[in-house]
Amino acid sequence: MNRARTAVLDNEAIQALSDVCHRKHRRALAALEVVAARNLGKAGSVRLVVPTAVRVEAGWDRRRRDAGLINRFPAEDAGLDSGSADRAAGIRIALDVSVADAHIGAVIEDARRPVAVLTSDAAGLRRIAAHLGVAVNAVVV
Amino acid sequence: MFSFWPYLNPVLWYHRWYGPAMDQRLLQLLDLLDVSDGETVGTSVRLPLALRDAAVLAAEMGLANSTTDLTVRGLRDHLEAVAQRAVLDAHYRRHPQVRPDLAEIAQVAAEMEGNPLAHRPELIRRAASEIRLLCEDPTPDEVLLYAAGLAAAA
Repeated sequence: MNRARTAVLDNEAIQALSDVCHRKHRRALAALEVVAARNLGKAGSVRLVVPTAVRVEAGWDRRRRDAGLINRFPAEDAGLDSGSADRAAGIRIALDVSVADAHIGAVIEDARRPVAVLTSDAAGLRRIAAHLGVAVNAVVV
Repeated sequence: MFSFWPYLNPVLWYHRWYGPAMDQRLLQLLDLLDVSDGETVGTSVRLPLALRDAAVLAAEMGLANSTTDLTVRGLRDHLEAVAQRAVLDAHYRRHPQVRPDLAEIAQVAAEMEGNPLAHRPELIRRAASEIRLLCEDPTPDEVLLYAAGLAAAA
């Protein structure tokens, strides 16, 4: 058993979660179900992490009261401090990826493993993971 | 017949007492959990003596931070876990059509853990269907175990 201890959301995953009419909304919710079930069984066993650069790109303002409760699903912001900004910059330069994707790379490099990433771009994620030498399970949304 | 069970299980208790005002209370809970650097307050918590001594010993051995840190982290983890469940349930009350079924959840669970069964969605769906005949309220992990059994038997 190789249960994810960290689940990371990318832009598309956030879009899918935020919009009830999104065609992958149910699938994104299924991922939250897995996180919630594992944490209810053993509190703190899976961290749901959202890189803040991804949040900006997705326009996910958690303070918006009209966005629905699902947007308040407890998740951890992974901010860009000095160290992670350096790592993200390195990834961006090496792979010519977006700022948000580079931040995802910095987050998965530093995360508790195993790591799962909900993403619309599994190939791009695997490229970043290979560059970092980190095993990541991609869940395509 | 009156049952104490819902009152012993906080999640069931929450469902039983759910009302229109609960979303507001839930939002308040989420707001409070979002505060990361708020002021602190001293409070008296009764801990089992052995548990407290274990925490002190673990801190002395460098295996853990202070008892306060362990207590705060445990409390936060537990509150976030129940809040996650409550947020999902509140979402399904408004949008019951978006609730993923057991097979969908098991499928994503398999993908999240890199389980080879993730490439056998038909097997997961069959397992999710058949296991309901064998046990009540199966979990996604039980579905994956059943699906692994089906794959081994094939």
